[in-house]
Amino acid sequence: MSLARVNWRELFARFGLVLALIALVIILSLLSDRFMTQSNLINVLRQISINAIIAAGMTVVIIGRGIDLSVGSLLALTGVVGAALAVGGLPAGIAIAAALGLGLAMGVFNGAFVAYAGIAPFIVTLAGLTIFRGMALAFTDGRPISGLPPIFMTIGYGSFLGLPVPVWIMLGFLLLTHVILRYTALGRSIYAIGGNEEAARLSGIPVRRVLLFTFAYSGLAAALASVVLNGRLNSAQPSAGVMFELDAIAAVVVGGTSLFGGRGGVFGTLVGALIIGVINNGMNLLNVPSFYQQIVKGGVILGALLIERVVSTRRS
Amino acid sequence: MTLLAMRGVTKRFGAVAALSGVDFDLEAGEVHALVGENGAGKSTLMKILAGVQPLDDGTMTLEGREVRFRNVSDAQARGVVMVYQELALVPALSVAENLFLGTLTGIVRYRALRERARALLAQVDLDLDPETEVERLSIGEKQLVEIARALAREGRVLVLDEPTAALSSSETERLFELIAKVKAAGVSVVYISHRLEEVFRIADRVTVLRDGRLVGTRALGDTTPDEVVEMMVGSAVHRYQRPDRHRDERLGRFELDIAGEAPIEITVHAGEIVGLAGVIGSGRERVLPSAFGLRDGARWGEQPLRSPREAIRAGIMLVPSDRKSQGLVLELSVQENVSLGTLSRLQRFGFMRPEAERAQTRHWIDMLSLRPPLPHKPVRELSGGNQQKVVLAKALAIEPTVLLLDEPTRGVDVGARAELYDVIDDLSTRGLGLLLSSSDTEELIGLSDRILVFRGGRVITELRPPFTYEEVVAHVTGARQLA
Ligand SMILES: Nc1ncnc2c1ncn2[C@@H]1O[C@H](COP(=O)(O)OP(=O)(O)O)[C@@H](O)[C@H]1O
Ligand SMILES: [Mg+2]
Repeated sequence: MSLARVNWRELFARFGLVLALIALVIILSLLSDRFMTQSNLINVLRQISINAIIAAGMTVVIIGRGIDLSVGSLLALTGVVGAALAVGGLPAGIAIAAALGLGLAMGVFNGAFVAYAGIAPFIVTLAGLTIFRGMALAFTDGRPISGLPPIFMTIGYGSFLGLPVPVWIMLGFLLLTHVILRYTALGRSIYAIGGNEEAARLSGIPVRRVLLFTFAYSGLAAALASVVLNGRLNSAQPSAGVMFELDAIAAVVVGGTSLFGGRGGVFGTLVGALIIGVINNGMNLLNVPSFYQQIVKGGVILGALLIERVVSTRRS
Repeated sequence: MTLLAMRGVTKRFGAVAALSGVDFDLEAGEVHALVGENGAGKSTLMKILAGVQPLDDGTMTLEGREVRFRNVSDAQARGVVMVYQELALVPALSVAENLFLGTLTGIVRYRALRERARALLAQVDLDLDPETEVERLSIGEKQLVEIARALAREGRVLVLDEPTAALSSSETERLFELIAKVKAAGVSVVYISHRLEEVFRIADRVTVLRDGRLVGTRALGDTTPDEVVEMMVGSAVHRYQRPDRHRDERLGRFELDIAGEAPIEITVHAGEIVGLAGVIGSGRERVLPSAFGLRDGARWGEQPLRSPREAIRAGIMLVPSDRKSQGLVLELSVQENVSLGTLSRLQRFGFMRPEAERAQTRHWIDMLSLRPPLPHKPVRELSGGNQQKVVLAKALAIEPTVLLLDEPTRGVDVGARAELYDVIDDLSTRGLGLLLSSSDTEELIGLSDRILVFRGGRVITELRPPFTYEEVVAHVTGARQLA
């Protein structure tokens, strides 16, 4: 391909997101001299870590043509249960493992209704959203749990090789998700089901088991995010995570994963989470009132979808 | 008295000549059957009459005056109404709303509408609440609602395009009574059908089309089913037929419930191609889904087939009839599609083995001469014939012992079709057992070692080579049972 005949559309479709992020970073560093500092950039990474972890699980569900609205409530539930077990005297490692196991189990619960009872994911996880929240509130009687063992402080505030621990956890989980999606037979099955469930079924792919996995994985992601959040707050709140599902979905779709399934990936989700995180951070630095921040955030989501739509319809 | 005369009607779709210089007459108050093989031009001729499509050349005279319909309401205004092969009701609206769709203006007076709807439904003997949503009706009831709608337009010419294809026999009886009734009221009926026993029962005259040309018109009293079949298929052209091969290695036997009175049995031998023939509604279209575990009550020998996974484990694989909605994941590449059925073999500890996957894809691309031979091209961008090769590659990669081919060349152009035939033939010489379900008689004759003909959920006959075109068509249309 000669330089004069660069296919801009192709280039944009592939790298448009990253270019948008770079453009955003340049603009913000011109507008505020506090933006382009090492501490602020690390700050942005730490701020997005919880959303990015949840969004990684959400990406897996959405590629399989599902949606998981229950993640915010599930984060609250696994957070308070894990914290209570740790405060109650169980070794912290076991308490954390129990929280992760609970997230997985609740994800299986969602997935079973979707895959085996055939109920729409939107409905199942909408029910999950209120059920898990109710369980978290009932379990704690509505009160926060504090006095967590010191390992939670380490998770929330420690750092390793110059990066905060939450950022490492985020990167590790994103990498795991990427490997599952791109290099395993399971990942291939998820793309196939999201792209054409009927064709996948007629090819002998165990569609129900794979769908069950996607929801279980999303549950695990929510539980992992709750461990990080407990560390950051050094306590567990039954009211934590309200609306987190929307932030996660926003990161996924801004990151170019199709809500219609079968297309996308977790790298895009990371960039999506970064774009949203950078915009939030920039608006804070520029002292934009929070009401306006919400408007801008919604606008960014719409803009990203619009661009995706233009690019993808031109392509086909 | 001649009500309608079409003269020299010609219609092209791009390079396809759908109709060339066809003449067609309709008397007042007659039932006139229109027959011919798939693609003969029957629907196109009647769509021109009903104002759905314009003609390229030719004339139409209605009651002695030349007419030219620009659209459907033009034709309806002159009393020509058509019930389409693919029904055209709005599922979410009520029966009453559907009946008067397109005639409603301004504020709708629902009470009056209901009363008129009730009267119309009574005319077609349909005991239904006009408020019922159309999506809750059976196909037969929908058909009757369509006819009631045609009557609501006060038609003088009623065109029915393959109305009984999806009807049960009691629904068919009701339809025939209704046709007799409207005929008695002086309405002319054009009746398109593949079933000659129906034609000989209810029609006064029959017109035969072949490859877009008029073969002839006969009064039913002056002709026989055999003559009509002969008119449909033309002079005996010598076509490729496979030699009668002897084979004895039996692979197994299917026992399938295709909603007939009793389950059917099909024995498959190694290296054999079993053709399945029959019109839509004959049960033929249910055989392959059943053999792939998509319907209840299917067995392969002692092994029950309750899901595609069970069928695949038993060595049975399906190439489905609709490659876009059932065969392919259009978002994925050629390679990813070819691997879909063999993921468990292409992995180790859950991880895909890229070498094995590449090698497998390469093998099938070469074997089926896929063009272009690019494993990473999205299947969306391939031609119909090459997409079909990808579906075939996926199916063959699982190394089945029995391959089920459902309309394997539908929507595939002539060149690619010949290539697919070579591939299918080659597969049988390698010892695969194949079931070939097709509505293309020529394809069945060219590929099959024997042909099972279906009617009413049963195998009515088994044909052995040498096949003649007439013989197959005669059995499929039911002409043989009439004679
Ligand atoms: N809308 C269309 N576009 C292109 N080709 C068409 C269209 N409708 C019909 N044809 C072609 O015209 C021929 C006659 O089709 P049709 O009238 O539907 O046949 P029949 O009803 O006798 O089976 C076929 O070759 C068919 O593929
Ligand atoms: Mg037709």
